[in-house]
Amino acid sequence: MANMFTVASKEFSDIVRGKRFLILVIVFGLMMTVAIASIYLRVIQAAQQAGGVAMPRGFLGLAAYNLITTMSYFAPILGLALGCDAISGEREKGTLKTTLVQPVFRDTIINGKFSGAFLSISLAIVIASLVGIVGSVLTLGITPTGEDVTRLFLFMLFSILFAMTYYGLAAFLSTVSKRTTQSVIISVMLWAVFTFVIPIVASLVAVSTISVSIRPFQNATRPFKNATSRQELQRYVEELRRQSAITESIQSIAPNYHFTRIAQYILQAYAGGIGARIGIGGAGQGLEGLRAASILQSLSFAWPNILVLTISTILTFIASYMVFTRQEIR
Amino acid sequence: MDFVIETKELTKVYKSEGKDVLAVDHLNLNVEGGSILGLLGPNGAGKTTFIMMLTGLTLPTSGTAKVLGYDIIKESREIRKKVGLLPEGFGFYDHLTAPQNLDYIAALNDIPKAERVKRIDEALSLVGLQDVKDRKVGGFSRGMKQRLGIAQALLKNPELLIFDEPTVGLDPEGSRAFKDLVLRLNKDGKTVILSTHLLFEVGPLCHSIVVMNRGKAVVQGRVRELMEKLMAEEGYRIRIEGKGNLGTFADALRGLKEVKEIKLEDRGILLKAISDISLQIGRMASNYGVEVSTLRVEEPTLEDLFMKYYRKEGISIG
Ligand SMILES: Nc1ncnc2c1ncn2[C@@H]1O[C@H](COP(=O)(O)OP(=O)(O)O)[C@@H](O)[C@H]1O
Ligand SMILES: [Mg+2]
Repeated sequence: MANMFTVASKEFSDIVRGKRFLILVIVFGLMMTVAIASIYLRVIQAAQQAGGVAMPRGFLGLAAYNLITTMSYFAPILGLALGCDAISGEREKGTLKTTLVQPVFRDTIINGKFSGAFLSISLAIVIASLVGIVGSVLTLGITPTGEDVTRLFLFMLFSILFAMTYYGLAAFLSTVSKRTTQSVIISVMLWAVFTFVIPIVASLVAVSTISVSIRPFQNATRPFKNATSRQELQRYVEELRRQSAITESIQSIAPNYHFTRIAQYILQAYAGGIGARIGIGGAGQGLEGLRAASILQSLSFAWPNILVLTISTILTFIASYMVFTRQEIR
Repeated sequence: MDFVIETKELTKVYKSEGKDVLAVDHLNLNVEGGSILGLLGPNGAGKTTFIMMLTGLTLPTSGTAKVLGYDIIKESREIRKKVGLLPEGFGFYDHLTAPQNLDYIAALNDIPKAERVKRIDEALSLVGLQDVKDRKVGGFSRGMKQRLGIAQALLKNPELLIFDEPTVGLDPEGSRAFKDLVLRLNKDGKTVILSTHLLFEVGPLCHSIVVMNRGKAVVQGRVRELMEKLMAEEGYRIRIEGKGNLGTFADALRGLKEVKEIKLEDRGILLKAISDISLQIGRMASNYGVEVSTLRVEEPTLEDLFMKYYRKEGISIG
């Protein structure tokens, strides 16, 4: 046990004192700041239009949206950046050999590495989120309620889980790859597929399998006037529902989808005003019902997605563990 | 007699791209405590694989071995606790100084914090790195890194030290310092194993040698005994120098039944005999009016020893 802490704290201090960590935290901190600045400008604009009366809570939806979007890039990149050379880097430097000739077991090393990474990832996410959260709160001049704090805490927790999924994936690739360059290439490719390719493919597949027959809102001259058009509308809604079911089932291959879902469920309480327009809220449930959901209800909606992320993270860990403990080292 | 290392039919087969590579082939070996052992052989002989199996860095395919009485499969952690090992292809953290690197290793060895500074200082002084304690290892030369690798092995104050290719990257001065260190460690009662493909680099230090080739130990034994065996097999070379009629004297010596070969050279006679007949030669010389200035049995050199076995194995000396 003592050895695992030694490895973990070494890993933590190596990561946290490294350039990579600093750069990532600074870049994403800046992104958060820019997003907040844009909200600030909108608040001022809105206040001028409303004759000086600001309604800051109305902007929380936008702030939440910014937080989720930025995090949906930050967490995977953080996980990849720290995981892609977790094992292969030490193998290339020879430090793995030097460690393995000491009285430690291999599982101690991999446990320590994952724990150290977990701590550093948590630190980075807490810092980046706090920049976003504190900035938003100050900008909007809101006093967060106990519920706000709990929801934001949960958001950070699941962001850490999300980053760990990517860390695990990258660390696994780093364990099986002969060289770091190899694991970097494969993990960046996987990230691009999950982040950009799958959403596009998903909507292409959905659109091409389910064709939407009419577009009722374009025909604005006689909306829902008679029975026929009411039936048409029902059919239209049904087709849209089926399309989005297909889209979602394809997207659910990617961890990104599950994270976005969880984050939306947790932060949907703020989906009033401007946020609603950008679509914070579940597809399956009515928006109104979701907005009123308590924290426990939000969690129960998000539960399947949380499970998927947790299980995939554990699987990457087990896979890395099995490969690493059996691997020949040269 | 207790052995520090005992192996029984120790075998390692690597699976490499679908093919089997027999790296260590049913090796039976006993290493006596307190000695300096040279593990010699050309590149690819299986030395590194053998060492990695002894310390639990790789598992044997079959066979067993004990190191300091511990089983290499079940008790490898105990072995790594008590054996200082300089592995092949080791490395250190470039962003840390030498003491910081060693501190991490000390922590992995459960060396209490209070003792660490002293132990680290000692180890660094033993390898001559005491003056570069504030420098990051990233700026170290290859030889300095090699010294740090040796310091790492010394840190746990082990009973048994195994160095794999220890002189690689060391300059002549560093190499000499290393040899002095080995002798000093051995004087303190430690067993030292030196694995190298460079025969003459450490050969002269060794009490015993094992020559490996293609995974097998083709020669093993105490250097002294191997030399005696070599002399018995190849004959004793006796050199005679002096004034007088050496030609006639040589003809007379040729008549002796012990003499296998005789050669008349510019300055004297060189003969090969099946036993040490130098006393007899000395007596005969005066009968033939030869005034002997030099009469000695030439011991075979390590080179002769290696040449014999290496030639037999078809290994080229590198
Ligand atoms: N991890 C490995 N996978 C496959 N083959 C290996 C591996 N390590 C060593 N070998 C092979 O095993 C043989 C012995 O190598 P090694 O033990 O390194 O010899 P030495 O240290 O005497 O040079 C060589 O043929 C080498 O190519
Ligand atoms: Mg070797």
